[in-house]
Amino acid sequence: MTTIQQQPRILGPGINRVDGPLKVTGQARYANDFSLPGMAYAAVVRSTIASGRITRIDTTAAEKSAGVMRVITHENADHLAAAPATFIKNPQAPLQDDVIRYHGQYIGVVVADTQQNATAAARLVEVEYELHEALLDPHDPRAERIKDPWGEDTAWGDVRTALKRAPVMIDQTYTTSENTNNPLGLFTTLAAWDGDTLTLHDSNQWPNMVQMVVATMFGVPEDAVRVLTPFVGGGFGAGLRCWSHIPLAVMAARHVGRPVKLELTRPEMFTGLGHRTASFNWIKLGATRDGRLTAIEHESLTTLSMEGDEYEPCSSVSCSAYASPNVTTRDQQVKLNIPWTNFMRAPGDSQGNFALESAIDELAWEVGLDPLEIRLLNYAEVDPKTGRPWSSNALRQCLEIGAQRFGWSRRNPEIRSMREGHELIGYGVAGVSFFWYQQPCSAKVIFRADGSAYVRSAVTDIGTGTYTIMAQLAARLLGLDVEQVEMQLGDSEMPAGAAAGGSGLTAAVGSAVHDACGRLVQKFVDLAATDPFSPLADVGIENVEVSEGRLYRKGDPTRGESLARILAVHGLDELAADGSSTPNSPDELGMTPAGARGARFVEVRVDEDLGRVRLARIVTVNDGGRILNEKLARSQILGGTVGGIGMALFEDTVTDMDTGRIANATFGDYLVPVNADMPDVHIEFVGEPDAFNPIGVKGVGEIGLVGVAAAVANAIFHATGKRIRSLPITMDMLMD
Amino acid sequence: MTTLIVNGMEHPLDLADPRVTLLDALRDRLGLTGTKKGCDQGACGACTVIADGRRILSCLTLAAQCDGREITTIEGLESHPMQDAFMRHDAFQCGYCTSGQIMSAVALLGEDRAGSDDDIREFMSGNLCRCGAYSNIVAAVREVARHA
Ligand code: FES
Ligand code: FES
Repeated sequence: MTTIQQQPRILGPGINRVDGPLKVTGQARYANDFSLPGMAYAAVVRSTIASGRITRIDTTAAEKSAGVMRVITHENADHLAAAPATFIKNPQAPLQDDVIRYHGQYIGVVVADTQQNATAAARLVEVEYELHEALLDPHDPRAERIKDPWGEDTAWGDVRTALKRAPVMIDQTYTTSENTNNPLGLFTTLAAWDGDTLTLHDSNQWPNMVQMVVATMFGVPEDAVRVLTPFVGGGFGAGLRCWSHIPLAVMAARHVGRPVKLELTRPEMFTGLGHRTASFNWIKLGATRDGRLTAIEHESLTTLSMEGDEYEPCSSVSCSAYASPNVTTRDQQVKLNIPWTNFMRAPGDSQGNFALESAIDELAWEVGLDPLEIRLLNYAEVDPKTGRPWSSNALRQCLEIGAQRFGWSRRNPEIRSMREGHELIGYGVAGVSFFWYQQPCSAKVIFRADGSAYVRSAVTDIGTGTYTIMAQLAARLLGLDVEQVEMQLGDSEMPAGAAAGGSGLTAAVGSAVHDACGRLVQKFVDLAATDPFSPLADVGIENVEVSEGRLYRKGDPTRGESLARILAVHGLDELAADGSSTPNSPDELGMTPAGARGARFVEVRVDEDLGRVRLARIVTVNDGGRILNEKLARSQILGGTVGGIGMALFEDTVTDMDTGRIANATFGDYLVPVNADMPDVHIEFVGEPDAFNPIGVKGVGEIGLVGVAAAVANAIFHATGKRIRSLPITMDMLMD
Repeated sequence: MTTLIVNGMEHPLDLADPRVTLLDALRDRLGLTGTKKGCDQGACGACTVIADGRRILSCLTLAAQCDGREITTIEGLESHPMQDAFMRHDAFQCGYCTSGQIMSAVALLGEDRAGSDDDIREFMSGNLCRCGAYSNIVAAVREVARHA
C-alpha cells in the first residue's frame, strides 16, 4: 500500500484548518457554551489564608441569598474516593477536610439559579481560620526538599576533577519566575447526572483522564461517565489533570439534582489550574581556552505545592544539548504553601534551557568565541549520555540556516557596538534540544459506501490542529480527498486517546491512525480476494496502492476497483478498522528519540536611558521531523514564540509573601504579550522524517517557546553589556 | 423591559437583575454564545461586540444600558471578508479569542486605523490571543484593509 515513508517531508504548504469555519463564525462550542434544561450555576468559595484550618464556616447568609439552592462545604460534602494518578498525581477530592494548604484553595461551592446569584452568595460565606505560618520562600530551611524526585539525576565522567582542571570556568545561578498558563478560555465543567450515569462538558486536554479520575472519585464505573470536549479555549498544559473544580461541579450536580455549570473566573484560573514552577538553576561549565566543553554541572530547584506532584526536570536539558565528556545533572523540588505547580508549555525544558543557553553564551564571551561558533564547536553528534545515534537531528542546520536568514554575520562582536539613535542593538542566539513524551493511543477509521471516511479518537484539539492534520493523514493513507475525511474527537466514548501534552499527540494519534488505515486497506484487500471477478483477487497488500478512492495493483492504476465498489459488491455499508500505537523503545531501536531541535536568533533594541526592551526580529528555525501541515505547524511555532516572549519579558506570577495570595491574578496585572509587542518573526523548518515513529513526526507544540528567553537575554548582553540571569527581564534591571 | 437589538432582531428582555452584563445577556439569555468571556474584567477583548458602529467590551457593559442600541455580534456577520482572511492566514488556533478579534478588526476598518502594520498591532492590542496568533492576525487585517 501507499506508505507514509514514500511521502515528502513536508506534506505540501498546508491546508486551512478544517474547523476554521466554525471558529470564525462563533459556532465552535466550548464547554461554557453548552446549556442544559434546568441547569443551575455554581460559584466557588476560596480560602483567604495559605496555611491553617477552618475553625468555623457559616453558610447561613449565603443560603438565604436570592436564588440559592445549595451551599456545600467540608461539613456537608460527599465523601469521595482518592483520586488516582494518571501519568502524574491528580489533586485529591476537594472539601474532604478542614485543612488549608494554599491561598485560593476551594473551601465551598454555592449553587443558584443564575450565575449572578451564585457569585453574590459565595461572597456571603463567613469563614474563620486557625492561621498557621505558611512556607512560601523556596529557600526557607524548614521547607521539605525532595531530592532526585524522578530518579533522573545523571552523572557520567568525573565532573569534579574536570572542573578543577578546567582552564576556563563559568559558575552562575539562573532563575525563572512562576508563570501561569492562562489559556484564554475559562475552564468550565457542566455536569449532568442521569441516574447513575454522568455527562460532563469539560475543558481539558485529555478526556479519558477526566473520565477515569471522576469515575474513581465518585465510585461509578468508567463507562458511566462521558466527557465531551469538542473544543477547548487553549490549555498549554493546564488541561492535563483533573482539577478540583471538576469533582466540585459533579458533586454540586448530585446535591441539587440538576445539571450544574461551574465556570472559573480569571482569578480562579490562577489558583485552580496550576502554574509553571519558579526555578533556580546552578550551572558550572568547564572548558578549554578554545571553548571546548570539558564539564557541565547543572543543578535545579523547582517549586511544588504541599500535596502536589510535578515533573520539571530542568537540568535534563544539559544531558542532551552538548557533547561533554563529564556531566552531572541533579534536580530538587521544594514544598511550599502555594497553589499547585503544573505543566506549562515546555515544562522543565524552558527554564533549564534559559540557564544552559545563557551559560554557554557567557562561556563564549569568556573565551572570545562567537556565540554561534561555540554551539557548533560543542555540537552533540550523538546522544552524549548513551553514545547512541539520534533518531534524527538537524540542530546544526537550524543554527546554520537561522544564522543566514538572520544575517548573523553582520553582527559586530563588541558589546554596545551597534546602535540606532538612542537605542542599543543586540543580537542573540540560543540552541534548543527538546524532549518529547509519547503515550499509547488508539483510533478507529471507518470508510462508508458514500465515499466518506471518519477517523475517531478520544483526543482533543487544543488549537494545535489535530482535527485537520489527522483528516489529512488519513486522506493520504486511504487515497481520498481531505474533504471526504472527517476527524472526530473530544469524546471519551471514542477509542481511548492520548493526552494533548508533551508534544506527543501528533506522533501518538498519528501513529494510531496510520495503523488503523493500514488495517483498513488490508480488510479491503481481503474482501477483494473473496471476489473471483475482482481485478485484485490475487494480490497482497504489498502490491496494491490507493489513490482517488481506488485500490489498484501497484504500477497499474487501470487494474483495480474503487473502495465504494468493493463495499457494494459485498453488500456492505461501511468497513472499519481499529488501530493503536505505543511508543517505541530506544533500546530496541538502538537510537535515542531526539525530539524537536531548534535555533533562535533575536534582535533586541534597548532604550539606553529607560532600559525599555523592544524585540525587533526573531528568526526561529526548527527540526520537527515530518511536517504534516506546514501552515498549522508554523502557527504552533509562532504561538510558542509568543509564549517565549512572555516568559522572557513579561510573565511573573507574584506571590504576596505575607499572605501567600497571588497578587496579580488578573489580565490587567499579569502581563502577557499583546499584538504591539510582536517583532517580525521568520519561521522555517529543516530536517528529515524522524526514525522513531512510523509517521516520522516530532511534536512542534512546545519547542517554539524554548530558547526565546535565552536568546533575548544573550542579545540584551550584546546590546548593553548587562548579563541578566533572571526572568522576566524588566526595565528596572537595565536602568543604570 | 429592556429591548436589545442584536444582529437586527429585537429581543425584549426582563432584566429584573441589574447586574446582568451585555455579555451574559447575549450568552445566557439569547443563546448567542459566539461572544466569549475570557476575563469578565475588561482586560482581554474576547467579549468584543459592535454597538452603534463602535467596538465595545460587552463584559463591561450592563445589558440595561443597551436599551435600543444596535448590537452586532459574530453571529451577525454575513460572510465578512475578515472571516475568510482569518481562515486563510491561520489567524487563530484554539479559536477562543477569534470572535473578539474579528469584531475588533471589523470595527478597526471603520475607524480608519488599519493603515500600517504598526497601527494594526497597536489598535488590535486590546484583544489578547494566548495562543499567540498575532502575526497572522495582522496579516489577515492588513489584507482586508488593503482591499477595503
Ligand atoms: S471578557 Fe470582556 S474583556 Fe475579557
Ligand atoms: S486562538 Fe486561542 S486565544 Fe487566540
